[in-house]
Amino acid sequence: MNPQIDPLILGEAADWLVQLQSGAATEADHRAVQLWRNRSPQHALAWQRAEALLGDLRAVPGSVANDTFQRLRHNTRVGRRQALHRLGVFLLAGPAVWVAARELPWQQWSADQRTAIGEQKHLTLPDGTQLLINTGSALNIAFSREERRIRLLEGEVLITTAKDPARSFIVETRHGTARALGTRFSVRVGEQSSQVAVTEGAVEMLPQQGGQGLILKAGEQGGFSRDSTAPVQPLDGAALTWEQGMLVARNMRLADLLNELGRYRPGVLRCHAGVAGLSVSGAFPLHDTDASLRLLQDTLPIRVSSLTRYWVAVEPR
Amino acid sequence: MSSIDRAPNLHIESLYCEHHGWLHGWLNRKLGNASDAADLAHDTFIRLLSKPARSFGSEPRALLTHIAKGLVVDRWRRQDVERAYLESIAHLPEAEVPSPETRWLILEALQRIDNMLREMPERARQTFLLSQIDGLTYGQIAEQLGVSLITVKRDMREAFLACLSVA
Repeated sequence: MNPQIDPLILGEAADWLVQLQSGAATEADHRAVQLWRNRSPQHALAWQRAEALLGDLRAVPGSVANDTFQRLRHNTRVGRRQALHRLGVFLLAGPAVWVAARELPWQQWSADQRTAIGEQKHLTLPDGTQLLINTGSALNIAFSREERRIRLLEGEVLITTAKDPARSFIVETRHGTARALGTRFSVRVGEQSSQVAVTEGAVEMLPQQGGQGLILKAGEQGGFSRDSTAPVQPLDGAALTWEQGMLVARNMRLADLLNELGRYRPGVLRCHAGVAGLSVSGAFPLHDTDASLRLLQDTLPIRVSSLTRYWVAVEPR
Repeated sequence: MSSIDRAPNLHIESLYCEHHGWLHGWLNRKLGNASDAADLAHDTFIRLLSKPARSFGSEPRALLTHIAKGLVVDRWRRQDVERAYLESIAHLPEAEVPSPETRWLILEALQRIDNMLREMPERARQTFLLSQIDGLTYGQIAEQLGVSLITVKRDMREAFLACLSVA
């Protein structure tokens, strides 16, 4: 926890911030602030906070901050009051007012879906189709009378389609489309290609720029780029264990494993070249990637060092 | 460490042993997610440890759930900020999208700023955002809000003070 600072000193620090930002600050003001902060450890601490605050404000590009707070205002799933209510707390009078007064309930159905890093989201579409959206994904849903279409912009989705003989079900990525023929399958979009894994029924992959379509049957997986399809392969059972929140590795390169784990945690996860080729087998929890990293550290000759939770490097021990 | 310093920690230890399992179960029921529940149960005790030594009263579970509820709501809020931020940068032209390294620094800064904004009265918050996010001068803000320059400065002081008190 942060140490307590005398509110009077904080008030003086606030006065200085106003003066320095007023546009009328002089050299003498800057010198006076230096003297002020040296008056006591509490003064120094207060000014440290002030500088951290200015640092935060500088770190965020104005347009991004603006846009983010606008979205928050319209998009917050619950306000603090409703959230506490949901937790069974009743506020008599809340001095802490949430940023937005008018918030929409998050249950409101929206066609644009997005998951945060590390988040997985279940969704039932109006036709009964089930989606499980994996970490760091974005997709748009466009249902019409003629067809049911999902545009997968980023990430990965597992789909169990509801039967609807009149309308086909299509997942579109930047590389082309995968058309479901009554089925359960997943699509993951990458840089160069999209990967499809089918557990029930069948899916037809169609590259964007024509090329040969290819049908995957249950128990098969394949991929497509903008102009071609990759050969069909037997389904790797590990490809869909994310549904159970596990990453299963069989003789996987450490670098590839970390790459995969990195999809589920915010920030940067670096792998030192000296250990990138280590072979790893095991099951790793995706919902607790810190635990996964500890597991790796316990079983491999590696060291996991982290500057912050958002900056982790895996190095030789 | 003197025995006086240790006493509260010993107290925490017995509190932990007796109630951690229960708290974890309670959070799990509220959140429906075992690992989030484990995280927050852990944070609840950390929060308790960082409080000045005190007696936990005859209803330690009431205190634990009080702290835990605050943490749950904060976590939801942080997730909301993250989602709004990711949506925001998803709409940027590619050249303006922050690199992965800076992306998370920005998110952390946004979450701290959001936390501070909550402590501000409405007009001070508006003034603060116009000044710090939109980059308007105090004079421009006075004009836009139709208030005096003195009022803008007073609101800015109040906003800064709220930020410094949260930090």
